[in-house]
Amino acid sequence: MSFTITQDGLSKLVNEWLARGKRVAGPSRVKRDCILYVPLQGPDQLLLEDFIRPANSLKEFLFPKHERLFGYRINGNGVELFELEPPKTEQLLIAARPCDAAALPILDQVFNWDCADEFYNRRRQLTTVVTLACSAHDDACFCTSVGLSPCAERGSDVMLVKLDRGKYEVRCHTEKGRSLMEGRLEPSDQVASEPLGPEKRFDPAEVREFVKHNFASAFWQSEGLTCLGCGACAYTCPTCHCFDIIDEGNANEGARVRNWDSCQFSMFTQHASGHNPRENQPARQRQRISHKFDIYPEKFGEILCTGCGNCTRNCPVGIGALSVLTEIGHGEHL
Amino acid sequence: MANIYKPELVKVIATRQQTPDVKSVKVCFQDSGRANDFAFRVGQFGIFSAFGYGESTFNICSSSNWKDYLEFCFRKVGRVTEALWRLEEGDVIGFRGPYGNGYPVEDWKGKNLIFLGGGIAMPPIRCAIWYALENRRDFGDITIVYGARTVADLVYVDELDQWAQHPNVRVVRCVDPGGQTPDWKGEIGFVPHVFDRAGGSSANSIVLVIGPPIMIKNTLPILDRMGIPHRAVYTSLENRMKCGCGKCGRCNVGAFYICKEGPVLTMEDLERLPSDY
Repeated sequence: MSFTITQDGLSKLVNEWLARGKRVAGPSRVKRDCILYVPLQGPDQLLLEDFIRPANSLKEFLFPKHERLFGYRINGNGVELFELEPPKTEQLLIAARPCDAAALPILDQVFNWDCADEFYNRRRQLTTVVTLACSAHDDACFCTSVGLSPCAERGSDVMLVKLDRGKYEVRCHTEKGRSLMEGRLEPSDQVASEPLGPEKRFDPAEVREFVKHNFASAFWQSEGLTCLGCGACAYTCPTCHCFDIIDEGNANEGARVRNWDSCQFSMFTQHASGHNPRENQPARQRQRISHKFDIYPEKFGEILCTGCGNCTRNCPVGIGALSVLTEIGHGEHL
Repeated sequence: MANIYKPELVKVIATRQQTPDVKSVKVCFQDSGRANDFAFRVGQFGIFSAFGYGESTFNICSSSNWKDYLEFCFRKVGRVTEALWRLEEGDVIGFRGPYGNGYPVEDWKGKNLIFLGGGIAMPPIRCAIWYALENRRDFGDITIVYGARTVADLVYVDELDQWAQHPNVRVVRCVDPGGQTPDWKGEIGFVPHVFDRAGGSSANSIVLVIGPPIMIKNTLPILDRMGIPHRAVYTSLENRMKCGCGKCGRCNVGAFYICKEGPVLTMEDLERLPSDY
């Protein structure tokens, strides 16, 4: 016994949300070879099958690439600061990959330890996540190596698992999910089989052990020398969250904004004196892997990686975390 | 909505050019209620902003006992500090803070204090010096060794004289070889060597050493020879920061977030971290 929804049922859901002025975002083919999570204009833009995953992640719907934090106005010597419109649009993230949804509870921690980032939290509260279990994977996928799977529940309010073409089993994980699906489901005798994930490629505990004890290893040299420092890995990563804060405007008015940043950029840690603690790509690559597999686990008790493989697929020189991690796992650094 | 990135407004009450490219600025809260509530620990830092230009992180270099104003000191090196350089009395800027841990001054009670500073590293030491002088009975002898590349690069020069007038306070100033002027009466040499030559008691001492990495590196063997344990040697790490609250991801040294767990730490703590600073 299960509950199901058809593609038509999902289209209806999308239409209803859009009609109420809410936002719906999901995978869509934006160019011939480019599938991205984008805000949808209608259900026909939603792509559900026959691809591995979008080239971006869900994080931009909670933590935008560019976000105004407050505005300023200057009159003579006086300065007035004002809040800009806080996020208030409800959004539905539909057909999200489980590896993207799993990133959200991970990000919740960094945006809330000590002081809460209300920009992120507001959007999070306004968001409902409908995941679609993966029925295919490619060589870059490694969710099973970081404790997840093609139908991992983490961060998902409702999960769809493909039964037949155009028909999905629906598994509600949260109250938000149940209320979203209320009245839309058909009972069915069919139960979806558990999709198979990629084989395990490495053990995160080994990676952690390695980065703890090999800060000065020549391994980082050989990995880092290939890196162009473009930041594609970080920008397409569901969990990378580093940002920069700058002012945009003129001497009379403007706003303070935050933009995505990346530890792969040379200016990221550059001191005013000229000294740079991470002065080359090997040091920056080491930071990225260390942050994900050692620093974040030490601070928050979990890995800052969901195995989506975006860093590998989007890397222009074919490195990405997976090659580094499997090399560590296979002892090729020794 | 609580906005952790929105600064408070502070008014510039005085600026002072310390060297050809270093200025200090005194600010007070526009909101007088806030001025009374505001408290911080010496060694903590603030994030100061010139609207339209951006934010920069500086130590609050005034003593935590002073209630009338906060002071910060900076070198003109980039977009934000160029804008701060142009500040005049009455201008309004932004302040977020205080952030970080500050100096554990309670643990320093009853100890002799040794302050070693190089160049623009004087401001984060200055707040601790004033704090110690204002709580003079809590501390033993005070030794201050301060050096810069040239005579013109020394900051808070007049205060060095004021400190030297206090009982049991020794102030040694120095400039790098070649940086002296004909009428220079201080020492010539690098801070670690000058400190070594100056001698003095090392027993029961706390050392605060802030300066360029090379200065700290060359100071440590001297402190070792004097028998000062690394847990009694403090420094303040000044990594680049943006958020000040452990989110933006750049100031960490290993799992140590300088904006939250630092900037102050002992050499013993520092030696346990990866050399990513």
